Amino acid sequence: MKKSLVVAIPLIIFLTMAVFLFKGLFSDPRALDSQINGKPLPQFQLPDLMNPRQQYTPEDLTGQVTILNVWGVWCVTCAVEMPYLTQLKEQGVRFVGLYFDQDLDPDFGTKRLIDVQNEVAEMLAQYGNPYAFNIFDVQRDTSLDLGVTGAPEHFVIDANGTVRMHHVGDINERVWNNKVGPMYQQLVQEAGGSQ
Amino acid sequence: MKSLVCSLLLLLFSTAAISADNRYNFNSQQDRALFLTLTAELRCPMCQNQNIADSDAMIAHDMRRKVASLIRQGKSEQEIIDYMKARYGDFVYYEPPVTVATVWLWVLPVLFTLGGLILVLRKRSAPADADTRARLQKADQLLERDK
Repeated sequence: MKKSLVVAIPLIIFLTMAVFLFKGLFSDPRALDSQINGKPLPQFQLPDLMNPRQQYTPEDLTGQVTILNVWGVWCVTCAVEMPYLTQLKEQGVRFVGLYFDQDLDPDFGTKRLIDVQNEVAEMLAQYGNPYAFNIFDVQRDTSLDLGVTGAPEHFVIDANGTVRMHHVGDINERVWNNKVGPMYQQLVQEAGGSQ
Repeated sequence: MKSLVCSLLLLLFSTAAISADNRYNFNSQQDRALFLTLTAELRCPMCQNQNIADSDAMIAHDMRRKVASLIRQGKSEQEIIDYMKARYGDFVYYEPPVTVATVWLWVLPVLFTLGGLILVLRKRSAPADADTRARLQKADQLLERDK
């Protein structure tokens, strides 16, 4: 009895490690826990990208379910998902863009706003425009507050302005049907029906 | 001569540090040192095996800028670490907090060492003679039987 137990110990250790490491094979090493989930949007006051005199605050993202899409013209995946987002917009999904520019270094030298606007207009003309409007994250501070690591990223925000899902990566048909879409529909239900 | 060599060496090694952060103006050497410490200890969420001092991802640029501005605002090291953790989770700091999930990082090696020690000590103290005597007896019996 005692001897069999001693023999079993290495086997138990091995099996535990095997299970642990096997699970590790299927975990995404890049997946991070979003800190913003379940929290209200961080405070910001940012201009509209196309019309800088228009200022937005988090209140502008309340009242209806919104998907905040962090993007930039320099981001290839953003261009890939744009036609699909435009399709969703035609079905009534509300997208707001949080635009940030890569070449605009707040420390050194800046690009002229008009150049940014031209690039954006060109891209939207080419791939479709899913956005109700675009908020221009000039200093990229709001992206930092949201815990953005790159682009594209999506934040599903309920009608009260609380972030309910943080999806890193693009939205395609599969992601929409399995992950983001159900959450969006659920929030629309919570908000009391149709948008 | 010796001091010249020393100062040249110092120059050689300090240029890297200076070039990394001379873009940011700090009020004091302490602030500069704190900046270098923090950017070495904070982890880039995009290039996950680099700290933000090394990484060239845009987010690392932004985090460096944010760290510099927080230092200029007079925030302490812990405050800045907490600021980043609030946005990117425990992941962002290279020193993991002790939780139920992470405590094993410290406990397992200790347990392993203790277990090994116990095994070795028990092996040492186990009387080997009893076993040998029994075997000799058995051998004698076999010999007797084969006669």
